[in-house]
Amino acid sequence: MASAEDEAAKAIYRFYDALDVLVRGNLEPMQDAWHHTDYVTTVHPFGHWARGWAEVWATWHEIAAVFSIYKGHEGRTDRISGISDLKIGALGDAAFGASVFESRLALAEGPLVLHVNCTNVVHKINGEWKVVHHHPDQAPPDWVAAVGRMVQAGHA
Amino acid sequence: MRAAEISLPEVGTQSGGFRVSGPPHEALRIELWGFFDPDVADALTRLAPTVIQHVELAAIFTLDATNLKPQGPDGQQALRVLFRALAPIAFKKGVLLASNVLTKMQLTRLVRECGLDARVGFEDIGT
Repeated sequence: MASAEDEAAKAIYRFYDALDVLVRGNLEPMQDAWHHTDYVTTVHPFGHWARGWAEVWATWHEIAAVFSIYKGHEGRTDRISGISDLKIGALGDAAFGASVFESRLALAEGPLVLHVNCTNVVHKINGEWKVVHHHPDQAPPDWVAAVGRMVQAGHA
Repeated sequence: MRAAEISLPEVGTQSGGFRVSGPPHEALRIELWGFFDPDVADALTRLAPTVIQHVELAAIFTLDATNLKPQGPDGQQALRVLFRALAPIAFKKGVLLASNVLTKMQLTRLVRECGLDARVGFEDIGT
């Protein structure tokens, strides 16, 4: 039987797999990576806190909309983003994971790399470990500005 | 004859709502905040076109979304109704205020979708 730490790590890696396909337009795995409860919380490398599933899901939907403009990975199969150095602490049916997130975008104006520390909390409900809290550091202003220019222009 | 100053009751709750203020021939201001539940989104959908039709040529239109969160489908649809009602009106200046970067990106996308992107712009609110 897998340990709580192993199950929590799987849930967190599943979340980041979901993020990688969300940026390519598939939201379903992200929806499935979360428990849909009123106590879930998220923030992103840009923006403010979202609290409760409706708000949390709206932010993921918007991030998918923002990156629907991004075409830098069309025709490529390499990952856009992922985590390293994941350390898990399990406390009964809840666990936290601290890691480093990295993404590499290929914008029209050049490569855009992001490195941020991030913490995720996963909770086991009805036997399923899923994310209930996501918190990366805020991105540097120049990264946010580059993504903002992409949105403003309506193309990558 | 110019329309009188518009004063609608505040709609919604602390967690999500809107209010409209100001004389529409000078400076109409719509303040939006929080996350809209379906009732608030429905109220904005019903009231926005009525309010917007009073905006005049000389007016400065301000959409204060400083405390607005990124909206779900209902809230986004209400914002589209607002922006589409505004699109045919020859107002003097359109100003958007937002502090949440993701909200700003959502408004940018919706404004462009509704054909207003050349006529309204974000002003820095120093955040």
